[in-house]
Amino acid sequence: MQAELGIVRLDLLFETISGIIALMITYYATKAYRLTGQKRLSDLSTGFLVLSAGMFGRVVGTLYFITQYGEAGSNLIISIVTIAYGMSRIMAYILFVISTRPTKTHFEQEFQNNTGVSMLLMATYLVDTSLEVIAILVLVVVVLQAVLNYMSTRSKFARYVLVGFFLLLLSHILMAGAETSPGLYLLSQGTQLLGFSSMLVMLIQAGRD
Amino acid sequence: MSRKRAYRSKMRILADMMRAIQREGDEGAGPTKILYAANLSHDRLTQYIDELVEKELIIEEEPVSNNRTYFLTEKGRDFLREFIRIERFSEAFGIDI
Repeated sequence: MQAELGIVRLDLLFETISGIIALMITYYATKAYRLTGQKRLSDLSTGFLVLSAGMFGRVVGTLYFITQYGEAGSNLIISIVTIAYGMSRIMAYILFVISTRPTKTHFEQEFQNNTGVSMLLMATYLVDTSLEVIAILVLVVVVLQAVLNYMSTRSKFARYVLVGFFLLLLSHILMAGAETSPGLYLLSQGTQLLGFSSMLVMLIQAGRD
Repeated sequence: MSRKRAYRSKMRILADMMRAIQREGDEGAGPTKILYAANLSHDRLTQYIDELVEKELIIEEEPVSNNRTYFLTEKGRDFLREFIRIERFSEAFGIDI
C-alpha cells in the first residue's frame, strides 16, 4: 500500500511539472496570437490551457479526495476526476489537430477536407467509450501532422514538437496497458513528462536570440 | 521539400521590411531595397513605411531629399527579436504567421 501511494505521489509530481510546461506553452502561444492575430495560435493556446487545467484538476482532485475520504471512500470521486481529466485531454488533442493541420498550399491534394478529419474524430468520440483509445486515435492524427510539418520545414523546433507529441502518444499507449501491468502506469507518466520536456526545450531554444 | 507560404500577414510584411533594413546595418536601407526585399508594390511600401515610422520602429533620414534612408530604432530591434522568437515557435507547430 505504501509503495502504491508512493507511485501516486510521484505520478502527481510528474503531472504537476507537465502541467506547468503546458501553461508555459499556453502563455507563449497567447503572446504569439496577440502579436500576429493568427487564429490557429489561439486554438493551440486553448488546447494547452485545457490540457493544463485537466492536469492540475486531477492533481488537486486526487490529493484532496485521498486526504478527505481515504483510499476506500475516494474510488467514485477518483473515477469522476479521471473521466473529467480524460475528456479534457481529448478536447485538447482535438484542438491540436485543428491548430496544427497543414496549410492547403503544403499538402493541398492530401488534405482537401480537414473538416472531414475533425468530424471523423468527433464521430469516434461519440461511439467509443474508452477515453484512452480515443486519445490515442486523436493523437495519432496530431503526430502525423507533426511528421508532415517536420518533413516540410526540417527545423529543429519542429523536431522537438514532433518528439513531444510522439512521447505523449506513447504515454497513452502505455497507459492503455496499465490495467494488466501496473508498472506501465508510472512509465506512462514518465513518458508524458519527457514529451513535455521536449516541448520545453523547444520553447527555450526558440526564445534564444 | 520547399515550403510555400499561402499568404503573408501584415505583421510578417512589416517584419520582412525591418529585416531588409537590419541587413543594411549602419548604412541604412533605401525604399528600393526595402521594396525588393519585402516584395511589395510601391503603394503598399509607402503605406507600411509610414506605419513603421509612426510606430517608431524605424526612423527616416533626409525625408525631403531623394536619398531617403531608413534605420531600425531600438524599439524596432526589440520588436524584430520578439517576432523571430514567435516565428520559430509558430513554425514548430506548423502554423504560418
